[in-house]
Amino acid sequence: MRPPDSLALRLGSRSVLLPKRATVVALSIVVLLLLATAASVAVGNGRTVGWRAVEALLGGQSPFARRTVFDYRLPRVIAGAAAGAALGLAGCLTQTLARNRLATPDLVGVGDGATVGVLVTVLGSATASIGAWWAGPLGAVGAAVLVVAVAGGLGTAGYRVLVVGLALSVTIDAFTDLVLARQPVDVARSVWGWTIGNLNARGYPNAWPVMLGLAVLIPLALPASRKLNVLRFGDDTAAALGVVPARWRLYALAVAVGLAGLAVGVGGPLAFVAMAAPILATRLAGAARVPVVTAALTGALLVVCADTLGRAFGPVEVPVGVLASLLGGPFLLWVLLSGKDSS
Amino acid sequence: MLAVLPVPLLITGCLASLLIGGGDVGPGAAVNHLLGGLDDAHVAMVVDTLRLPRTLAALVVGGGLGLAGALLQSVTRNPLAETGLLGVNAGAALAVVAGIALLSLDGGTAQLVLALGGALAASTLVLVIAAFKGGTSPLRLVLAGAALSATFRGATAYLLTRDSAGYDRYRFWVLGSLSGVTTRMVVQVLPIVVLAAVIAAALVRPMSALSLGDDVAAGLGHRPGRVRVAAAVAVTLLTGASVALAGPVAFLGLLAPYLARAVVGPRTGALLWLSTMGGGLVMILADLGSRLIVRPYEAPVSILLAVVGGPVLIWLVRSNRTMTLGPGTAA
Repeated sequence: MRPPDSLALRLGSRSVLLPKRATVVALSIVVLLLLATAASVAVGNGRTVGWRAVEALLGGQSPFARRTVFDYRLPRVIAGAAAGAALGLAGCLTQTLARNRLATPDLVGVGDGATVGVLVTVLGSATASIGAWWAGPLGAVGAAVLVVAVAGGLGTAGYRVLVVGLALSVTIDAFTDLVLARQPVDVARSVWGWTIGNLNARGYPNAWPVMLGLAVLIPLALPASRKLNVLRFGDDTAAALGVVPARWRLYALAVAVGLAGLAVGVGGPLAFVAMAAPILATRLAGAARVPVVTAALTGALLVVCADTLGRAFGPVEVPVGVLASLLGGPFLLWVLLSGKDSS
Repeated sequence: MLAVLPVPLLITGCLASLLIGGGDVGPGAAVNHLLGGLDDAHVAMVVDTLRLPRTLAALVVGGGLGLAGALLQSVTRNPLAETGLLGVNAGAALAVVAGIALLSLDGGTAQLVLALGGALAASTLVLVIAAFKGGTSPLRLVLAGAALSATFRGATAYLLTRDSAGYDRYRFWVLGSLSGVTTRMVVQVLPIVVLAAVIAAALVRPMSALSLGDDVAAGLGHRPGRVRVAAAVAVTLLTGASVALAGPVAFLGLLAPYLARAVVGPRTGALLWLSTMGGGLVMILADLGSRLIVRPYEAPVSILLAVVGGPVLIWLVRSNRTMTLGPGTAA
């Protein structure tokens, strides 16, 4: 039997159900993402701007323009898009497993743990600069593991782990603030600038780990999304349908922490993307399913657009984290208010 | 019985706060001064202008945040809701930073006025936008607050990336402290807190009804939308007053309701009362600790709150004494 809102794709004896609305939305976002990439490549300092850059991207022959586009601008766009996708997907998983729109990966300590990791590298460096990219992800995953261990289990609807995460995050955060207040101002600014979220000088070396992570974790997230879909009807219903709630929550949380932890290594915590992307995706693709793919695409689009705008005005760029929350906030509000009531 | 329990504890805490820490005056001399038996200008200065305002401010800030947290968690039915959620803390931070960066305003009174103004303006904006087109469902309120808070934080970060000196001052304000508070400042924000407490008292019955669900509450003659807006106004006033006095110490607003729920369960009236008392008590103790722990210097009060409150919250959650927020944790 085929649900009325889906298309069945058949190939021999195998078949896949494609929900119509979600597919159309996902394809539209992919188109927008490609347009945003072109726009993002076309913006910057120097001579290679506007159509000249887009031409190089599409196969133009000017070697200087090609180098600017393929060596500097495109890697940054791809790094940003990968981080955004990972954050959107991670946020979608945590929000669904807790059935709470405020539940982002940061609630289990990802952002604050990563900040500690980066803080340690900055304190260890003579020039107050940020060390290896993996310091953030290592701190993030370490903090998340600590939170789950201290919580000793996920609890009802994952709340135990989220509240323990909140408590530990506040503690870590207070100590970070204290250390920052005691350090020379350039050290403090360096770490604080990282916590805002920044894509300056990011490229393929930053993007590879996240893209690898996405390639492994998206296939792992897809089955989780079907189980989480059932969890939304309550744990009893889910158990009756053969889904063990605790096991799938832990699984989804592990995938989410892995994704968000890797993303932190690219552009900093960017907490707002993980919260907003799944909400926007649910609004666009409909509430009948968990919008795993759409949330990832929306996160990528959000980050690429914010980064493009941050570079579009004047020679001094505005950090992507600033624009993502400055413009994403009102946009989220507009989307929320234009509907009758949110799901 | 349980409801009166915190009162003697709170009185003991206040006395301890007056008698020890902050200035080199021992408990004996302080008692003598309070009983009117000692005429010493130094002791009078320490007790009356250093310790008394801090004690009063800790009571107002802690009690206010405790009450605000309990109101907000009950009315949004969201155990992850903290008092900064309606944009109050983000708005206060934006106003303080804008004052520092754009107008070069500094000093206690300027920051008090800026923080309070920013908090009230931000929260009013959240309420107006959430209530736009008539919807005040808990989820709309929560998400509108989260979205606008993100916007304010973005604007704050933008100002701070442009202004190095501003960031230098901001990183101290963020830690929160009661050290510069004067009795006059406490008296200035007191009417706001009293007004909010009156609103909260009037909301006890409607909120009890609301915890049974919107339909039941409507059937009992209450208007869910209005109750939520009134509660949000009270939360704003309380949090705005506390952020103006002590900086952003929002964690207390999350902790106090959990403590109170562990003791009395979900009964609204007792919950609000105990959360207020518990918030005041925790804040008094945290402030006392911040004075004593690295004498003669001060540890930031947010550190004390986190170090004491974090483990307590974890213990409460681990021992399963929590999460009774009414039917179906919506939002």
